[in-house]
Amino acid sequence: MEGFFSIANTDLLVAMIRLSTPITLAAIGAVVCERAGIVNIAMEGIMIVGAFFAAVGAIYSGSPWVGLITGVVAGGIFSLIHAVATISFHLDHVVSGAVLNILAMGVTRYFMVLFFGHPGTTDTIPTNLGQMQWAIPGLSKIPVIGPMFFYQTPIVYFSFILVILFAWFMKKTKLGLHIRAAGEHPLALETIGVSVYKMRYLAVFISGLTSGLGGAYLAIENSASFTEGMTNGRGFIALAANISGGWNPVGAFIASLFFGFADALQVRFQVGKIFDIPEEIFIIFPYIATIIAVAGLVRRSRPPKEVGTDFMIEQEGD
Amino acid sequence: MDKKMLKPVVFILSILLAVIGTTLYMGTYFSGLLFILAAVAVFLVYRWLESGKTALIDLLKAGARTLMVPFFGIIIAIVIGAIVMLASNYDPIESYRALFYGAFVRNWYVSVLNAAPLMFTGLSVALAFHAGLFNIGAEGQYYIGAMAATFLGLNMNLPPVLSLVLIFILSGMLASAWNIVPAVLKVRTGAHEVITTMMLAHTARYLSPIFIRAHGGDPSTSDHAYVTDQLPETNWLPRFNSFLPDANYRLHVGILVGIVMALLVYYLLYHTRIGFEIRAVGENKDAARAQGISVGKAIMMALLFAGFLAGLAGVNQVVGLDHKLYENLSAGYGWNGISVALLAGSHPIGVIFTALLWGALDAGGQYMARVTDTSNSIVEIIKGIILFLVVAKYIYAYLGNRIRRYRRRTQEAAKEAT
Repeated sequence: MEGFFSIANTDLLVAMIRLSTPITLAAIGAVVCERAGIVNIAMEGIMIVGAFFAAVGAIYSGSPWVGLITGVVAGGIFSLIHAVATISFHLDHVVSGAVLNILAMGVTRYFMVLFFGHPGTTDTIPTNLGQMQWAIPGLSKIPVIGPMFFYQTPIVYFSFILVILFAWFMKKTKLGLHIRAAGEHPLALETIGVSVYKMRYLAVFISGLTSGLGGAYLAIENSASFTEGMTNGRGFIALAANISGGWNPVGAFIASLFFGFADALQVRFQVGKIFDIPEEIFIIFPYIATIIAVAGLVRRSRPPKEVGTDFMIEQEGD
Repeated sequence: MDKKMLKPVVFILSILLAVIGTTLYMGTYFSGLLFILAAVAVFLVYRWLESGKTALIDLLKAGARTLMVPFFGIIIAIVIGAIVMLASNYDPIESYRALFYGAFVRNWYVSVLNAAPLMFTGLSVALAFHAGLFNIGAEGQYYIGAMAATFLGLNMNLPPVLSLVLIFILSGMLASAWNIVPAVLKVRTGAHEVITTMMLAHTARYLSPIFIRAHGGDPSTSDHAYVTDQLPETNWLPRFNSFLPDANYRLHVGILVGIVMALLVYYLLYHTRIGFEIRAVGENKDAARAQGISVGKAIMMALLFAGFLAGLAGVNQVVGLDHKLYENLSAGYGWNGISVALLAGSHPIGVIFTALLWGALDAGGQYMARVTDTSNSIVEIIKGIILFLVVAKYIYAYLGNRIRRYRRRTQEAAKEAT
């Protein structure tokens, strides 16, 4: 048991933050998207695409910042396919998402072979963002809280900012209200002259950008290359974070921290060899935690009314 | 002869021709294709005898209409694939020649081997779709089925046929049990099965190395590290070359089991009470409930059947092809099963053909990569595009509307001009 307590320290909490960051980022996207009425299970695929193109950008330019931008943009562009398919072509949201996940694997593998000559793992990026730890003067000296929140790497800070930004955006701005209305009562929104299609496109695009950033984090900050399958279901865990977080950014952030904690714990157990059981038993921790979370242990709010339903405007000539 | 006497004779003849033709063709005897065509022709005669000429023509028209979208999807995907190849400096004509030659002629047996597990996972996803459920975690049930089959195959000493039947049924049931948690959660709390089955798929994947180490996999050796012991030969699925001497030595009869399963799923869905309930719930939950159908029961049944079918894919690979379980043998049969089901529009009979198409594209891609410089990952892109063009049916309606509107506008403009 002594070994068990040896891992319960500040490092564990720092690792929790780092491992929850990609989930947080994708979960913010999931919140915006589902609030607008679109189910986005393509986030896993968007993260893969974001991660891959972030690595490509970072390798070819030599700068991780360029990689960050290429990753986010690639995620955004890829998500537009989901938007076109579900909004304009009225395809079932879950079906479109599944197809995009499959397409994402194909696209990244194809470009991987084209750029690097082999599938599997890309070359290593020259400098990764994980090396840039920024200390916020003063605050980073606070015990426990300091290392967790104020001595972190760039994208982790972005994720904090985005949580606050979107919590404000969804609740306080007119655009945020319109996005929520698109998922709650689209017809009413259309009657006051706001295009439901436009709001939904915007929401899907936002989820593409944040998921792309989440993917980029995995490839250029948390590690220094892209490996096929490196997202490991995080896009789906983010969906769960959105649901158990009650469809709002702060709740989703807290749920993501929970999943990040499960992940951090399993890594510690695995590396520390504290219990004499196969390491794979620990790897499945976060997945089981996710199932428990969506099973309703943290249930308290209801989903947007029109989430996952199609909205079709009768156009002249149809 | 009397027409009434003739009908059953013609029907039985077409079934016989179909069975012989399918067996031959799946055993890489290309003459089987002639039998299949003959079976189709005889079946059309049967339909004509049964319901007359106009009904037959309607049937053909409906068939042509359903095949139209996939057909154009495939053509467009091939064209886009060619453009992608040109853009990345590969020779599209040479590549496609190799792809199709490899897929349908030279390595047809690889196509068939690939198609067998896809048929099971495709059926699994398709069946769940009928209840409005998305069994995205078929990959996990596949792993459970494969592990169970390996365990039983290593430990069971029964007469050959009996032990194979038991392996299929018991492993399938265990894989089915793997879906109990998502099914119960779906019914009780409404937890989305996409998330729960997906998480369980990752869980199953990570359980497989533990299982392998417990059954002969030894990480300290180099040749036996990530694989279990081999199953005794009595627990192997029969191979085609035991009755068709020219068939490839690896080709096993799993594909025929898959086709039979497809027919059974078809029967289940369209000719049984539970199938009707599953479809009713998928169509409209509230209406089904109003009719007195237990929605929870239908959802449970659909997910459990789906788990069973996906598990059989794993069984099929272990007792048919590999005869042992490899670690991280992530050929993605679960994920590809989703494509196969979507492409078939969730129709069990359609799954037979889409599984073969997907298997053939994979086999062709491998052959193409071997004989040309083209990377076989182009096949993944082509598959993705085909899928998108087929599932996004509204695209065609949308384009049709656009064209009609444009025509009307130009007509009006022409009228105004005169």
